Amino acid sequence: MTYVPNRREFLRNLGLSAAAMPFVMNLPSLGFANQQARKQRLIVMFSPNGIVPNTFWPDQEGEQFTLKESLTPLEALKSRTLILNGVCDKVRGDGDNHMRGIGCLLTGIELFPGNIQGGSDTPAGWSSGISIDQEIKNQLQKSPETRTRFGSLEFGVMVPDRADTWTRMVYSGANKPIAPIDDPHQMFAKLYGRLKDQESLKSVLDELQDDLRTVSAKLSSSDRQLLDEHATLVREMEKELQSAGDLTSQHVIPELGARVKEENDNIPTISKMQIDLMVNSFVADFARVATLQYTNSVGGARMRWLKVEEGHHELSHKPDTDASSQEQLTRINKWYCEQLVYLAQRLAETPEPGGGGSLLDNTLIVWTNELGKGNSHTLDNIPFVLVGNGLDFKMGRSIKYPKLPHNRLLMSLAHGMGHRIERFGNPDYCKAGVLPNLT
Amino acid sequence: MGLHPPLAALFVSLLDQFLPRTAQSQNARSMLYPPRWLRCFGLCLLISWQSTAICAAAEERSGEQIYQQLCASCHGARGEGDNKNYPQPLAGDRSVTELSQYIEKSMPEKEPEKCVGEDAKKVAAYIYDAFYSPIAQARIKPPQIELARLTVRQYRSSIADLVGSFRPAESWTTDRGLRAEYFKNRRMRTEDRVLDRVDPNVKFDFGESVPEPDEFDPVEFAIKWQGSILAPETGDYEFILKTDNGARLWINDNERPLIDGGVKSGKEDRIETIRLLGGRVYPLRLEMFKSKEAKEKRAAISLKWKLPNRAAEVIPQRYLLPQRFPETLIVETPFPPDDRSEGYERGNSISKAWEQATTDAAIEVSAYIATHQREFAGSRNNNGRNNGGERRGRQRENNKDAPNANEDDGEHRNKLREFCVRFAERAFRQPLTDEQKQLFVDRQFAEAGSTDAGLKRVILLVLKSPRFLFRELGNTGNVSYDVAARLSFGMWDSIPDDILLKAAADKKLASREDVQNQAVRMLADPRTRSKLREFLLQWLRVDHLTDISKDSKRFPDFNPAIVSDLRTSLDLFLDDLISSESADFRQLLMSETLYLNGPLAKFYGFELPADSEFQKVSFEPSERAGVLTHPYLMSGFAYTSTTSPIHRGVFISRSVLGRSLRPPPEAVAPLAPDLHADLTTRERVLLQTKPESCQTCHSMINPLGFTLEHFDAVGRFQREEHGKLIDSTGNYLTRAGEQKQFAGVRDLAAFLAQSDETHTALVTQLFHHVVKQPIRAYGIQTPDELRKQFAQHNFNLRKLIVEIVTQAAMTERGAKTDVTIGQAADKINGS
Repeated sequence: MTYVPNRREFLRNLGLSAAAMPFVMNLPSLGFANQQARKQRLIVMFSPNGIVPNTFWPDQEGEQFTLKESLTPLEALKSRTLILNGVCDKVRGDGDNHMRGIGCLLTGIELFPGNIQGGSDTPAGWSSGISIDQEIKNQLQKSPETRTRFGSLEFGVMVPDRADTWTRMVYSGANKPIAPIDDPHQMFAKLYGRLKDQESLKSVLDELQDDLRTVSAKLSSSDRQLLDEHATLVREMEKELQSAGDLTSQHVIPELGARVKEENDNIPTISKMQIDLMVNSFVADFARVATLQYTNSVGGARMRWLKVEEGHHELSHKPDTDASSQEQLTRINKWYCEQLVYLAQRLAETPEPGGGGSLLDNTLIVWTNELGKGNSHTLDNIPFVLVGNGLDFKMGRSIKYPKLPHNRLLMSLAHGMGHRIERFGNPDYCKAGVLPNLT
Repeated sequence: MGLHPPLAALFVSLLDQFLPRTAQSQNARSMLYPPRWLRCFGLCLLISWQSTAICAAAEERSGEQIYQQLCASCHGARGEGDNKNYPQPLAGDRSVTELSQYIEKSMPEKEPEKCVGEDAKKVAAYIYDAFYSPIAQARIKPPQIELARLTVRQYRSSIADLVGSFRPAESWTTDRGLRAEYFKNRRMRTEDRVLDRVDPNVKFDFGESVPEPDEFDPVEFAIKWQGSILAPETGDYEFILKTDNGARLWINDNERPLIDGGVKSGKEDRIETIRLLGGRVYPLRLEMFKSKEAKEKRAAISLKWKLPNRAAEVIPQRYLLPQRFPETLIVETPFPPDDRSEGYERGNSISKAWEQATTDAAIEVSAYIATHQREFAGSRNNNGRNNGGERRGRQRENNKDAPNANEDDGEHRNKLREFCVRFAERAFRQPLTDEQKQLFVDRQFAEAGSTDAGLKRVILLVLKSPRFLFRELGNTGNVSYDVAARLSFGMWDSIPDDILLKAAADKKLASREDVQNQAVRMLADPRTRSKLREFLLQWLRVDHLTDISKDSKRFPDFNPAIVSDLRTSLDLFLDDLISSESADFRQLLMSETLYLNGPLAKFYGFELPADSEFQKVSFEPSERAGVLTHPYLMSGFAYTSTTSPIHRGVFISRSVLGRSLRPPPEAVAPLAPDLHADLTTRERVLLQTKPESCQTCHSMINPLGFTLEHFDAVGRFQREEHGKLIDSTGNYLTRAGEQKQFAGVRDLAAFLAQSDETHTALVTQLFHHVVKQPIRAYGIQTPDELRKQFAQHNFNLRKLIVEIVTQAAMTERGAKTDVTIGQAADKINGS
């Protein structure tokens, strides 16, 4: 693992007191003057209904392994990929496995009892804890060096327009699910709407000044004072907008193109738009944490563009002996893998602003799922495929763990992002600490 | 050297300025004149200086003497300059040091050696304090109607009404409660409805049963409550939804639920906060559904709210209406607070923070309007806003009002353009000229890339224009529109409605009678009631009483619920007073009743069944008097375990009598009761305020506060303290120099209720609250004239506000008033 000391650690190592800091900070000869701490990022990508184990998990462990059919799109990124088998969602309690699968996936803690009735288990409500992405985001937002405009961004693709346990993965706290934004135009408005407004504002300032002069001219000189102050402040605002405009011009506001209707067949287009927006928002440093949720737990996308006519969830219930379904499910997961690869490649080809390397050098993508396998509804062997070098995990490997609780992986993600928590979610599953053998 | 006659004349005139005019209120005077010590100092100065001037040597000259000798011939006796060579008044922002250096070097012109060293310093110090500095200028400047920006309250109300004016107007009925529809399953279709009635509020526990066992299948049902909610005051409201089942609550947003409890999750109550403006109604919808699931056996629901500084309570029926009102836009952008240095919110200064806030708010409003553009323009594809949108779950913001295929369809664009013209006219409180239509609307649409961008540009330009942001710009061409605006800001703190604008267009705001008629009409609006209520709460200093908690050992039963109920009791009394025909101000002091409910009655020793709702209860008139002895105020103006005659006395001096009190010369901690266990509170206060420096104010404060000594720290009547009988005698030296004696609070109340001092103070304070301009800018006699009118009309607060607003509306800025006060109030009964 390569370890680059940040500026504070560097100073600590030099033995400089806090009082000396301001002086040191202004000494360019130390070579750190304009260097910001490394911008680490974390992305969680979700796809539903489990996977087909024998077309997904590599047979081998270690650095020498062969990618199976579902994961073949990762070939070019193999050295930057880490496949974790044997990580299990051990959280039990109320709710069916699909509900707990997504509701406990990032929270690692039980669902509240409630009125949402799943398959055969007891009804349940929302998760009783915060999700790891929000936990990390809160930590990053605490410090000025890592604080960003949004902290985290929650993307979705074709998430059904209803709020229930199956459609929510991210929680800002107990009983506080966060809805992903699955309309790229809505996301665009969130990211860039303000800049657009400033453009509008800039364009009316001249007329505003004219209007002020007209009104002011009718007033006595002593009355004019208040309006003069107003005019001065408007001029100041104009200057600030000007300089802010210069700054923002470094980040190109992406062109979004025509509005895309949110419907099943547009999933590939929406997916690409959302990924492009996410990469752009990283370039602008709007956030360091993001999630990307495809449909929902039990999601029923019909991937007609893959010649799969049946809904995903329906297919996932078919027995292992149904070869055609297994093949179609493999195709579906391979398509999700392609989305992962598109995201990773966009990050890899985008230089890190103000630093060396690419965005992918500082970003870790975690691709996961609410189930291990669709027809058994197991919460064992939840797929966790990690891509990118953001967390200094040792990549290019296939690891098989002896059924360790996924809370430990969630803790590892926090530690990797510099947030050294000792437990996360249900503490019973955290006792042994972070997952071994990652770094 | 002898005394120059002109110099003596000057001092006489100076003193004339400084000396009290006995008929005027101390409060108003304190804004204009230096405090009493300075006036005394002026007198001393005159006496001593005359003697020095006659006999003392030249080297003892004061700064003022030097100024009059060397400078006044050109600069004028008070730095006003002369009309020929020195027209500029001596006023500016240089420091005393800078002034003295300048004088040393350059003054008097051509003979600077005549005034150097100590003399220069003395002159500089003199002119600085007497008239040069901005503070001195403010002191000597006569009060005038100021050009002012909208206060924050006015801004928020104006936006709410501006946007709301494009939505259907609803008129009020007296119906209260919520429309309740009960369905026999969760689908809530009309054909599944088994009950349609009005429920007084939402507080139900159906247990394992159903609302009407004959009508329902016992396992599954749903209920929809609809209507509106009235917010009595401005602030953050917490809504608390408690249910065993699934439920959703919408408030002031028909699409996005405030509480989305469709997923029942855990046992906790769902709580969300929303900011509401007082005196307005907001649409409300609540849906609950019990499912068939075996686990979900029980059904229960309650909808509570928690007003600022109050305990949570089931929303009372009087705040619920079965009618549905349209949504109101409440600007969320935070604003810096207004200047309240003169005791009322004023828009007399602007800052960068304010500028930024108005910009952010303009962007917020433009986004809201763009989203709802089809509704406002009245175009097709309205997407059913305000139809109670039954869509579940998360809304899709961008799709909500999204134009369909063809965004720039010509018809919509034209309608939008018309909307923009009307929007600007309502915001500016007057019609646009053709030239202005061109500038504010047409050019924006022409230059913007899309209809959407054009619309946003118009909104930004209009809401940033001084024509919207400032009041009293004057010179608008048509005086009637200025009158309309003054009327509406006076009565409502908001822009004129269509009726006022039409009256202005028809030149029906020219006569005093026309203006009065409008003011009387506007009195019926809940916004006026809210404004009066806020005033009375300020007059009672309730805004100072944010934490009323008591020593739990001494008063174990005095819990937050009691405090909250007390506040409700006070509110009910004030609401009663404001809405009653007589609206007699004296009732605040003299009333012999109190609103109590079961718990309050028990706590304060009145006979009421434990579960009683609030009702008027008569008390022993010799013990209590109006709201003066209201337990909420008595607890508020008290320490945690003992009373505070000082807090109570300050309230009566400042608020009720309008006396100005300076802060104490040093911060003083009250003497600890346990260190003086043998003393009563009265004795302890007397001991602490014995020093001469305290007595200047405390000789007035203490004997007023002592009259309330019968009310302990929670406002209960007490007869003795430490085994000694309570002494509640007091006194007051009136401004006219008459010593009044009071045997107790009833005596005091009777004195206050008939005292000119009380009436002048009230009139002045209400004027400032309503008009937000200095009262004396409307004529030096205005407070007195209004007071007389107030008395003639039996101290009717409603007539008073009409009178105040009528007079203010008829007064152009910069013009002296000669309007006769008094006719307005007759209007209310007459019309």
